[in-house]
Amino acid sequence: MTARDLVAHVARFSRALREASVRTSLSDEVDAVEALSRVDLSDRDEVRRALRISLKIGPREAEAFDALFERWWSAAEARRREPRPDPPKPIPVKRPGRVPEPARAPRELEVERPQGDAPSWSREAVLRRKAFDECGPAELAAMEALVSRLVLRLATARSRRLVPTRGRGRVDPRRSFRAAVATDGEFLRLARRARAIEEARLVVLCDTSGSMDPHVRFVLAFLLALKKAARRTELFAFNTSLVRLTPWISAGKLRPTLERLSAAVPGWSGGTRIGECLMEFVSRHRDEMVGPRTVVVVVSDGLDRGETDLVGKAMRAIRSRARRIVWLNPLLSDPRYEPTAKGMAAALPFVDVLAPAHNLESLERLLPLLAA
Amino acid sequence: MKEEIRAMQDAMERFGYIAEPEIATAVFLAKEMGKPLLIEGDAGVGKTEVAKVLARILDTELIRLQCYEGLDVQTALYEWDYPKQILRVRLGEDEGRSADEIESVIYSRDYLLERPILRAITRSEPPVLLVDEVDRADDGFEAFLLEVLSDFQVTIPELGTVRAERPPFVVLTSNRTREIGDALRRRCLYLYIEHPSLEKEVRILRARVPGASERLAAEIGRFVQALRARQLLKTPGVAESIDWAQALVRLHREHLDVETVERTLGCILKDRHDMADVGGEALETMVGEAVAMG
Repeated sequence: MTARDLVAHVARFSRALREASVRTSLSDEVDAVEALSRVDLSDRDEVRRALRISLKIGPREAEAFDALFERWWSAAEARRREPRPDPPKPIPVKRPGRVPEPARAPRELEVERPQGDAPSWSREAVLRRKAFDECGPAELAAMEALVSRLVLRLATARSRRLVPTRGRGRVDPRRSFRAAVATDGEFLRLARRARAIEEARLVVLCDTSGSMDPHVRFVLAFLLALKKAARRTELFAFNTSLVRLTPWISAGKLRPTLERLSAAVPGWSGGTRIGECLMEFVSRHRDEMVGPRTVVVVVSDGLDRGETDLVGKAMRAIRSRARRIVWLNPLLSDPRYEPTAKGMAAALPFVDVLAPAHNLESLERLLPLLAA
Repeated sequence: MKEEIRAMQDAMERFGYIAEPEIATAVFLAKEMGKPLLIEGDAGVGKTEVAKVLARILDTELIRLQCYEGLDVQTALYEWDYPKQILRVRLGEDEGRSADEIESVIYSRDYLLERPILRAITRSEPPVLLVDEVDRADDGFEAFLLEVLSDFQVTIPELGTVRAERPPFVVLTSNRTREIGDALRRRCLYLYIEHPSLEKEVRILRARVPGASERLAAEIGRFVQALRARQLLKTPGVAESIDWAQALVRLHREHLDVETVERTLGCILKDRHDMADVGGEALETMVGEAVAMG
């Protein structure tokens, strides 16, 4: 086989991989050609290994890759035209050792006392535990006030990164030395660094279908309050289609905002197609909105009328970018509930934290998980 | 299999690393193509060990950069030795030297503290640079790493640009606690190490714990393989089975029995829930099976 043949083969194989949704880039192909030129091309296993190494095939893609390679190898000599393999089914891959624990954790927390600096007077205590669907308008207003105090904690979470500060923190010799140059070598003021305050970045995808109706109002109220502390919060609503709500949210009172929102969302309280909506989010917004610091919050009961396969696929795509995925499921407050709804089950392997969201206390516990 | 790859496999085995063809091929290609090798896999499958063995095969220095959240460029690259510089300035003033003279002295190599990456590119003999657990560093550091790995040069404003005469062999490891950025991944060759097969694990145990008998190694291998098949929070890696074999050899055990396993389970299971999960009858069955199949 000549070098030119090799390039053509690698390019075609790589295209077939992309069609089977295994990501490869041009630079990978260059690596692959170089790697193949250094191995024994008559040894099928060695060629497969060299390709896996140079095309950067991870464990999640390994199965799809191997299947395609087998087909390719046996077909390569027989015919020159490009085979068109069926795209393999998405493989639900559990991340090693991590899945069972977070899914269980929130339930165990259920019996814990409210956190740290929780105010102790009784009216607030009652409010914290009251299920949302039992609240009247006055209680709602009180809840709003409480939430906006809580979220301040979120806005002051510290990262481990050190950034220059005035006053407190540990001495930063590099900058101190620079500053001393201006004062003829005397250290009049020491520069310091301290742990940065990171602003939380949230993307919230909220299910507004009929089954979610009693809960969604309050979750939204919580999220609107969050928006004050974490200004980079993006809010989406979905039922049969996906709507970006961020432009509709403004600071101010909750009620008018909620009214504006329900006017903006078509089919509010209708059915749900979770998979299709999440896929739409992935293709249109993921790349710009989801990064390594972003926490993605999905608020849904997982009762899906659309294609469940899509739910897993979309969740995997989000998982690969996000720092964490939190799934709030109001049904979880019922101790008999098991996450067996088809949509929920498909999403579960990719969810870091599955938590209830039926009262203020449950939302409050989420705050540390939402911090950047 | 190509001669050179088999030679690499044999060399790794000579230094106590039982390498599957995948691993030998990846190390061979990374060395030949001069590209960094990104190794992923569960904890304890021997990712870091690959770099160590490579350093011994090439008979060169191993420079290790352990990553953690908040790791910054000063810790990874270089730092000026400020106290020493200040003392030098004071001395220079007393001797009546001019500012220019002092400056040229205090910004020289003698006052530079080399951190791992700078050290790796200034060595005349290319070392092996191990960037361990790169998934723990933040994405800002990843971007910096990308820059260094693409041209192996570092600019120090006071000194100028330092370029590696011969680039080091770079091995990056990741436990996949988060996905490594695409750009960095594309810059490297990639290897995913799985838990070893029973046969390979027994060979590793025999190579690394010479005191363990064939029978003990086989029983340990079968027991640990059975453990891995269960849904545990922390799946034991080869590192754990080696520890365990060493412990059993110290205790002069020739084979496994329920009591010994119960007492030494802490060598392989590092989580209270896992311990509770495996205890009691389940343990007896597993030990029974591990011993009986021999």
